[in-house]
Amino acid sequence: MTVGAEAIRAEKLVKSFGHVTALSGVSLAVARGETLGILGDNGAGKSTLIKILTGYHQPDSGGIFVDGQPVRFGSVDDARAHGIECVYQDLALVNGLSIYHNMFLKREVLWGGPFGFLNHREMRRRAAAALAEIGVAVPSVELEVGQLSGGQRQAIAVARAVLSEARILLLDEPLAAMGAREARLIIDLIERLKARGDIAILMIAHNYAQTLEICDRVILVQHGEITFESRAAATSAAELFDIVRREYRAARAG
Amino acid sequence: MERAARRGIARRLHDFLLRPEASVIVVSVALVVYFELSNANFLTDANLQTVSQFVASPVIIACGEIMLLICREIDLSVGQVFALAPFVMEHAQALGLPVPLAIVAALLVCALIGLVIGLITIKLSIPSFITTLGMLFLITGVTLTISRGYPANTPGGPILTGIMGAWGYSEIVWALVIVAIMHVVLRHTRWGLHTIAIGGNIVAAAEAGIAINRIKIGNFVLTSTLGGLTGLLEAFRIGSTDPLAGGSNIMFLGVASGVIGGTAIAGGAGTIIGGLVGGIMLGVMQDGFTLQGINAFTFDIIIGAAILIAMVANTHLARLRAHGPWGGGTAR
Repeated sequence: MTVGAEAIRAEKLVKSFGHVTALSGVSLAVARGETLGILGDNGAGKSTLIKILTGYHQPDSGGIFVDGQPVRFGSVDDARAHGIECVYQDLALVNGLSIYHNMFLKREVLWGGPFGFLNHREMRRRAAAALAEIGVAVPSVELEVGQLSGGQRQAIAVARAVLSEARILLLDEPLAAMGAREARLIIDLIERLKARGDIAILMIAHNYAQTLEICDRVILVQHGEITFESRAAATSAAELFDIVRREYRAARAG
Repeated sequence: MERAARRGIARRLHDFLLRPEASVIVVSVALVVYFELSNANFLTDANLQTVSQFVASPVIIACGEIMLLICREIDLSVGQVFALAPFVMEHAQALGLPVPLAIVAALLVCALIGLVIGLITIKLSIPSFITTLGMLFLITGVTLTISRGYPANTPGGPILTGIMGAWGYSEIVWALVIVAIMHVVLRHTRWGLHTIAIGGNIVAAAEAGIAINRIKIGNFVLTSTLGGLTGLLEAFRIGSTDPLAGGSNIMFLGVASGVIGGTAIAGGAGTIIGGLVGGIMLGVMQDGFTLQGINAFTFDIIIGAAILIAMVANTHLARLRAHGPWGGGTAR
């Protein structure tokens, strides 16, 4: 594994919704070839953080830097233009369409210009090549996505993001509701993406053990702040568990 | 090698037979054989013209309704646009336009109606079922008003009239050309792919950046225009037109053709070819049972039962296809 130059950096991101402060000064940086795990309870601010990085929300203050350059995202398309892709939990796949149609949805390859016809053969070829490159095995790219397992669907969603030249990949709970074998499929896929060395991965997760295994670094988000940050190799699940347990006790004590 | 090839052919045949279109084709052929055996007049030129005329109108309308059903909309008022179009043409001609331009004017009015339906449905967030239910009554009122309730003769010289429907097979030629074009639109253009994506998963379509409103409104415009064209073709074929022609009957035959051919009422799936074979099956039945001398009341019972049987069969075939011996991604 090689960790390259800084891909994305966030500085002192603040975001409030009315009287509720979702983020109160979050800073982080992820390098190319590095995987950052973002842990935290529901409502801790993880989703808000991801939605700011994907351009869905705009921060009240603070800055975002891609490749060291300050950027301002007015929309999801702005973030995409900077190579930021997010794979959401709902995966945004169309079950009734084939794998290759899903991978090229809205980025179709056409014969002869923007008013041309769909180039099915070229899309099939490129989709199969892209899946082979990142080691995702499917019987045929012509299969309907609805016929795939949960792990395969997740892999297709990740492959689509990679195919669209994503350089900063945000994964929202990629292992949620998945059996051990299915999870293995995705963990292996993330490992291979990491090994390419040109993609920075930010992964939201709940499962401490899996996150520590996959990620290079982990952060813990609580009440809109980063309360813990460490290299995964130097962290134990028990350590994280203790921090969260202290939190619960404090909350119960009022 | 040979065994593998044979298995490949067997699988293709199996996959084809599980397609909704295939079962409808099989049933249609069986019906043709039955009608020909029990009544020697079925496969005659005169009767085939009649069958083709029964088939053409529902099929053209089905082409529009299938696009709408796939993206989870419906147009209940297309049969009323069917009735309105010939009267618009006649008024345009009375105002001094040559007949070909009057035809264009009528189609433009129909397209405009589709645009209004689309804008009301999308911009005001009204279900299209409701929008087009309202338009159904509204357009009937307009047609009765501008026709004063009387039928009118269709204008035009013999050549134009022949092309537009008076020649026995011209209507089915129009239908087949439109089917061919719409099949390509649905399967081989972004418009078609995005229509399927919208019906399959609207959130995914939105996240991919598909212009959902534009495509839905476009399909409403398409359906109304095809409805108007069908009305014009029928007016030229018959030589006159009635303000209460078409109506909900032709609309339901169009929707039924699509649904029998495998288009999902819930959206996300369907084929134009399915609409064609569905329309052929309904037309063959309508003509065949008429030749048999079955009365109109019994006929409706038979059509209704046929639609139900086709629907049940298609639902179960779809399940077989997804989970059957060769279905299921990982099992292969």
